[in-house]
Amino acid sequence: MVRRTMDLPFCMLCMVYTPPTLRERRRYLRFELLCERPVDKRDVLKAIWDSLYALYGDLGASESKLWLIDYQPREDGTRGAGILRCAHDRVEEVRAALACIHAIDTASIGIRVVKTSGTIKGASK
Amino acid sequence: MPTYIDLNVHAYPETDTPAEDLLRVAKRYGFAQIAITNYDNHVLQDSWLEDLILGVEIQAQTVTELKRKVRQLGGRVTVIAVHGGDEKINRAAVESPKVDVLTHPCSEKGEGALSYVLVRFAAENGVAIDFNMNALIQSRHGERARILSKMREQLKLVRKYKAPMIITSHAHSIYELRAPRELIALAALFGMTREEATRALSEMPQGVVEKRWKKEREVEVL
Repeated sequence: MVRRTMDLPFCMLCMVYTPPTLRERRRYLRFELLCERPVDKRDVLKAIWDSLYALYGDLGASESKLWLIDYQPREDGTRGAGILRCAHDRVEEVRAALACIHAIDTASIGIRVVKTSGTIKGASK
Repeated sequence: MPTYIDLNVHAYPETDTPAEDLLRVAKRYGFAQIAITNYDNHVLQDSWLEDLILGVEIQAQTVTELKRKVRQLGGRVTVIAVHGGDEKINRAAVESPKVDVLTHPCSEKGEGALSYVLVRFAAENGVAIDFNMNALIQSRHGERARILSKMREQLKLVRKYKAPMIITSHAHSIYELRAPRELIALAALFGMTREEATRALSEMPQGVVEKRWKKEREVEVL
């Protein structure tokens, strides 16, 4: 299920409404994953963060504001698709970090970004 | 949209993945054609699929061995690439107009160095300098930092002498293939602009297949 709660213009901790001009601009990337063995969402998220840290360090990784919205394994588990969110001006950096992921544990994987959009709805179409 | 070509993919019998599978995934990723460039002891003999380009990546220990292999394979395959890294081999490869591509001139681990003399020869003889993205994907930390800085140097020289450059995936399986947009994003890591990277994935490899970089030179000579 796609978690729509994160898309609300509220800060979840204090529940203060954020005016549209102050909201952060985001991009949603739909990605496709080819894998030798089925992998679960937690492993995918860990691999993405590890790759971001390795490539850009803590500082660069913090700027990307990455969030994994959804990940679903498909068919026989050798493929998966998911949506992640990042800052609107960090799409190419995140794309490079995704391309650098070559394995989860010992299973080889390959990730490709299928679509980018400004909304979850647009990215999941 | 440009027609993207990946000029360095390794398939069965060198690896476990058949060429059909690689081509299917590459097409899905947006490539028009791929070249199967197995090492010279596992060369594919004929292309039974339309968008499969035949090629070879020659591995040689000595210059004479390299020259012999280039002579043997010339005419049998479309793309002749040379497994670079060693300085003498690099030099011999860029000096030979029969060679199409010099792969990873700074070797796969980034230990070697590419001098301006080599790039000038490459530009003269129409030998494309290859940027091996698999080295960036597979390595981490210090090793990747070294490879990235070597690639930055390499890019500077290639820009200066206007040598043909290509970006390849060096994929050994379907999991190592990357889509053109991802390769362009990776190339941006060492300073390649988006236009350059797009050209290095479409026009440049197309020219290598058609021997366009060679022809220009022949015209100049005549």
